[in-house]
Amino acid sequence: MKGYKKYYGQKILWYLVTLVFAVVLNFALPRMMPGDPVSALAGQAAQGMTDAQAIKKVYDEYIEKFGINKPMIVQFGLWLKGAVRGDFGVSFSQYPRTVADIVASSVGWTLALQLPAILVGWLLGNLLGAVAAYMKGVFDKAILPVFLFISNIPAFGMSVIMLLIFGLQLGWAPTSGAYGFDLIPNMSWTFIRSVIAHYQLPFWSIVLVTIGGQAIGMRSMSIYELNADYVKYSRFLGIKDRKIVGYVFRNAMLPQVTGLAMSIGTMMAGALVSEIVFSYPGLGTVLMSSIKGNDYPLLSACTLIITIMVLLANLFVEIIYGIIDPRVKAAQQD
Amino acid sequence: MGKVMLEVKDLKTKYVTRLREDVFAVDGVSLKIEEGKSLGVAGESGCGKSTLALSLMGYYFPPLHYISGDIIIDGTNISGMKPDDVRKNILGNEIAYIPQAAMNALNPTQKIIRFIEDVIHAHDPKMSRKDIYDVARRRFEVLGLPAEVLQKHAVELSGGMKQRTVIAISTILSPKVLIADEPSSALDVTSQKMVIKMMRDLMEKGYIKSMIFITHELPLLYNVTDDIMVMYAGQIVELGTAKEMVFDPLHPYTKGLMGSIIVPEEGVRENKLTAIPGTPPNLKHPPKGCRFAERCKYATPTCAGMEIPNIETAQGRVYRCLMSERKIREVYENE
Amino acid sequence: MKNTIKNVFHSPKFVMGFIIFFGILVFTIVYPWFVVADPLDMVGQGNFFKPGTYISVRDTVETKHYVLNITAKAGNVGDRIEADDKADMRDWLVKYGGVSQETMDAADDNELVALWVENYDPKAKQKGLLASKKKAFVRLNTEIEKLMKDADLILAEQNEDGELESTGTITSKEYVNTKDIDNKRTLVLGTDNFGRDVLTELVAATKNSLRIGLLAGTVATLIGLLLGLLSGYIGGVFDNVIIFITNLFTVIPSFVLLILITYSVGQNARGLTLMSVVIGLTSWTWTCRSVRSQVISLRNRDHVNLSKLSGHSLMRIVLTDILPYVASYVVMAFILQISSGILSEAQLSMLGLGPSTTKTATLGQMMNWATMYSAHLNGSWWAYIPVVMVIALISFSLNLMNTGLDQVFNPQLRD
Repeated sequence: MKGYKKYYGQKILWYLVTLVFAVVLNFALPRMMPGDPVSALAGQAAQGMTDAQAIKKVYDEYIEKFGINKPMIVQFGLWLKGAVRGDFGVSFSQYPRTVADIVASSVGWTLALQLPAILVGWLLGNLLGAVAAYMKGVFDKAILPVFLFISNIPAFGMSVIMLLIFGLQLGWAPTSGAYGFDLIPNMSWTFIRSVIAHYQLPFWSIVLVTIGGQAIGMRSMSIYELNADYVKYSRFLGIKDRKIVGYVFRNAMLPQVTGLAMSIGTMMAGALVSEIVFSYPGLGTVLMSSIKGNDYPLLSACTLIITIMVLLANLFVEIIYGIIDPRVKAAQQD
Repeated sequence: MGKVMLEVKDLKTKYVTRLREDVFAVDGVSLKIEEGKSLGVAGESGCGKSTLALSLMGYYFPPLHYISGDIIIDGTNISGMKPDDVRKNILGNEIAYIPQAAMNALNPTQKIIRFIEDVIHAHDPKMSRKDIYDVARRRFEVLGLPAEVLQKHAVELSGGMKQRTVIAISTILSPKVLIADEPSSALDVTSQKMVIKMMRDLMEKGYIKSMIFITHELPLLYNVTDDIMVMYAGQIVELGTAKEMVFDPLHPYTKGLMGSIIVPEEGVRENKLTAIPGTPPNLKHPPKGCRFAERCKYATPTCAGMEIPNIETAQGRVYRCLMSERKIREVYENE
Repeated sequence: MKNTIKNVFHSPKFVMGFIIFFGILVFTIVYPWFVVADPLDMVGQGNFFKPGTYISVRDTVETKHYVLNITAKAGNVGDRIEADDKADMRDWLVKYGGVSQETMDAADDNELVALWVENYDPKAKQKGLLASKKKAFVRLNTEIEKLMKDADLILAEQNEDGELESTGTITSKEYVNTKDIDNKRTLVLGTDNFGRDVLTELVAATKNSLRIGLLAGTVATLIGLLLGLLSGYIGGVFDNVIIFITNLFTVIPSFVLLILITYSVGQNARGLTLMSVVIGLTSWTWTCRSVRSQVISLRNRDHVNLSKLSGHSLMRIVLTDILPYVASYVVMAFILQISSGILSEAQLSMLGLGPSTTKTATLGQMMNWATMYSAHLNGSWWAYIPVVMVIALISFSLNLMNTGLDQVFNPQLRD
């Protein structure tokens, strides 16, 4: 257990350090750039709003919140204080809603969509990859090029294809939003049914894309493991092939878990863009509308929350990995 | 004369490469081991000794393929048996194997005891986990291995410990024949000694009834095994007792091998390190005549032209050379 | 070296990837030789014309007419409706139109049409029908009504007094030969939301995206290679700093950094080059990592030590004793960087952070425009699918090349 404590301690410490850097970058990057949206926006805050009173209000709040005229470090302090309390100010494009309110209402949709989709895709992909490696022959030869190609279709591309085929051509599932536009979120059956129906296309698009990449990785890992020395040794001790295949797949899965940690940021990026195709009310769609609406406070809150989500997911995967792979424990005892 | 534990008659196996070429790695090997005896197999790398170890198991999977010959373990011919019967009834409990690289022979993510359970359950599905644990613990203790090893993963063990654990697992079902493929080659001297001692213990305590020890280090064999067999290009070139093979080699190849090593025993002629020049023939297309002819300094044109049979001497030694025993001694004397 | 290249071209995977990739590249270069039009030229007025050949309606009227005996009469409308649609119509009439099954069974195709015209009512209660299906029936009805119209078209011109004067009639049996028409244009992939020829635009966009990928890949590879070589070879504090940075940026999603940077520089500054450089700057860490670990394993090899003892300069050792050994990894990393660069651009463009320019399009921008104008919701697949396929093909070919190289350079991994 001592080994684990050290391992997790180090991991958590490392992720905290990363978080600090990510937060600083989130604050500093836009301000370091020649365009500097913060200053630019302060000058022409609330452009496009018609209500004079609203413009004044946003403008004042903006100046106060960002402390434009104060030194950078004070600005950072102000920003950080707000961020910790979840106060990111008022949105420009969706005045008078607060940024925190908009982000809070979209995070849930994104989580509910991406978490299960990436997990299911990862599991199915590994299963298919393992089967392909084991069966070899026709199944492998036929399925591999297909998945190699699918894995190279970007997530948003897959979304469009799914939407065109299953949404428009076959009419199996609704094509946009997270629920019927005529419904108000509540706990009724009609609403839940509508949510499930709207969930299908974005969900399966992400699953399909994830499957492709994972299946290929798992296949080559499994082939590598199938040639390992312990396979031969186990065979010569009379252990059944089926049991040995069990060893092989367990061991081939382990690098796939680390692979998941490595690629979760990329996967989420792809999935966020997919949301746009389906006008799914998650962070991806909010991100796009904040960019279109020149809504800097909303954008920076979105990027921060996405970063935190990716970091948490990574940390979670690494913790799981520490538990399932005894090699981690062994390495700590040296 | 003891009971014959393992008898091999004219065994032939081949590798099939990815390009579908046949490599005849074991080409007509015959040998016999009696109860309580051990046989060392020596040769340069690529001579087919590791393939022989795999072939003797009687359980073939690609790229290794069986061609012909018999493997008889304690009176039972396993060559004609169904693969699944071999797996269930022979592997592990009649004939066992210790692989070349023990470093990777154990599944890195499995506890040693779980693996032992899988091994025993493959032959006796009904044995309870507790009984298995007791058997394993007792056996480990007798062999001088701490019982805690059972609860560890392979990655937590040192190299020497891993190798000894592998030996203990291989012999847990007390097989009649143990085939050890370079069990000590990758280890430091202390671990080597422990491994050798362990093999002796196994024989003395009767956990194994006979043993084949494969290595490229001849001096090791002289100390460990009763008989020595030298292989070249997939065939036996000479077979005799350890003493005869080291002090009185007949075949020019054996002599060359002995010449290329230093044996730290009294009475061995002080030979300078004479590595044999040349490389072994390509086993995809083995030469028709003597396979060593190309590198043999005593070779005559006839050597390469005709197939050379194994010659058994009056003392029961076997060698594969056109020269008679007397002629050989004459030639060696005149050097 | 020559031998390695020969080996590489013996790998079927590499060769296939190479052919696809260079096929696309050559196509983007050769196509403009034949189609000289500006890729962003607005050919059509209105959005999303479907793929096909367009001929001038005016020319059609003014060209010589031929009378062909091809049926186009209302009496034969029945023959011109698809079998599936007819089955659907029969179903509908029995279920919702109040027509009895016997009448329906007895009716031939033409009688079916007559019954349809008589009984179909889009406002009828249609229980159990999906909304999309209901709409399909409405469309079918409109089509049938169109087919039923068989009045001659009267052509008229305004005379000097401003009155219409009939100059001729066109009956439904009149045809023109397409060869007689001078003005026609084949839009293989239709037009986009601005009425631009999708194919021409796509070729230009592919070229731009490839340029972005190549430039971003070059930037990332150069930085990664340089830092990886130095940090692996020099070690010490420099190495620790580099490790820290690479570890940091493998966890912090580069997607987020890209959004922050591209947004901050402002729309006017976002050109193709800037985008590529920014993408390159956020993706060098992978190359750096693998180069570094390779260099560390090489650092104490005999030939490197020999060089050190011979007093060769750092530059020389790195260039002649280390670089050749990491070259294969660098090439493989470069190939992957190209495809990830193209993908990054596409994703940024989808969010509205693509390169700002009115002269060039990129693959991502085409996707973005199509999304903004809801091409996916009105079924204009030609605005989307070709773009997606090009991105997938580029990425597929690069990955194939990479796998092929991997098999050549690391033969032990061969399956």
